[in-house]
Amino acid sequence: MSAAAVEITLVTLEGVRLDEVVDEYTTLLSSADANDEALDRLAPNPYPDDEHASRDFAEATRDDLLERRLADADVVRRALAPFQSFRASMTDDDMLRAHTLEVPRGEVDAWLRTLNAIRLVLATRLGIIEDDDHDPEDSRFGIYDWIGYRLELLIDAEMGD
Amino acid sequence: MSTPAVVPDVVEDIDLRAAPLEPWQVVVWNDPVNLMSYVVRVFRTYFGYSIDRATSLMLAVHHDGHAIVATGPRETMEVHAQAMHEYGLWATVRKAPQ
Repeated sequence: MSAAAVEITLVTLEGVRLDEVVDEYTTLLSSADANDEALDRLAPNPYPDDEHASRDFAEATRDDLLERRLADADVVRRALAPFQSFRASMTDDDMLRAHTLEVPRGEVDAWLRTLNAIRLVLATRLGIIEDDDHDPEDSRFGIYDWIGYRLELLIDAEMGD
Repeated sequence: MSTPAVVPDVVEDIDLRAAPLEPWQVVVWNDPVNLMSYVVRVFRTYFGYSIDRATSLMLAVHHDGHAIVATGPRETMEVHAQAMHEYGLWATVRKAPQ
């Protein structure tokens, strides 16, 4: 429970995919496209009924928030660095081999925020608006569910389950 | 009891009614993406709420569509809202209804 680090076990295939997904997420954050709905979801408006207050808040905090998201994503990408060498080539034996990452407790929040933010981006892209907007036939939901599963596992691991 | 060594010779007449402390609230809204366990985790670690309180707030968000997670001065509530946004929760700030 009070161990200094939380363990995350990923097979090579997962690690490589996660590294790619976080990389794509970082690219999205860096684009800072003001018209992108996904970015709006990552920096929501706390004053939906007050245009003036909402503009002031966005001016004061939005860039800063996206910067902190980038810093979080960077923590995750550094931890996933061992998987980068498998991007170009992976043997059948490599693919399902398990790797255990030791995430220091101080970095768990960066992982949680990043995995959750990626789910939010995917949800925006997939148009998930209601709880039941989930089409099991659509393979794009696979990655959304998988990230949710990894997020759940990380929360359990941190709580010591 | 000792007497204060320095007695202020000016009595400031501060009318507290002129600047009423109006409480503000942070409201977290339901969304289909954030996992229940994740929302509880955020309420526990960020606000330091007990697992019971964090869980009942999460359930209120889930079933009632929203829950008030903090009340206090506006500036503090904005800091909390920004932290909620950083965790990906959909939070708004509003003046507490009278």
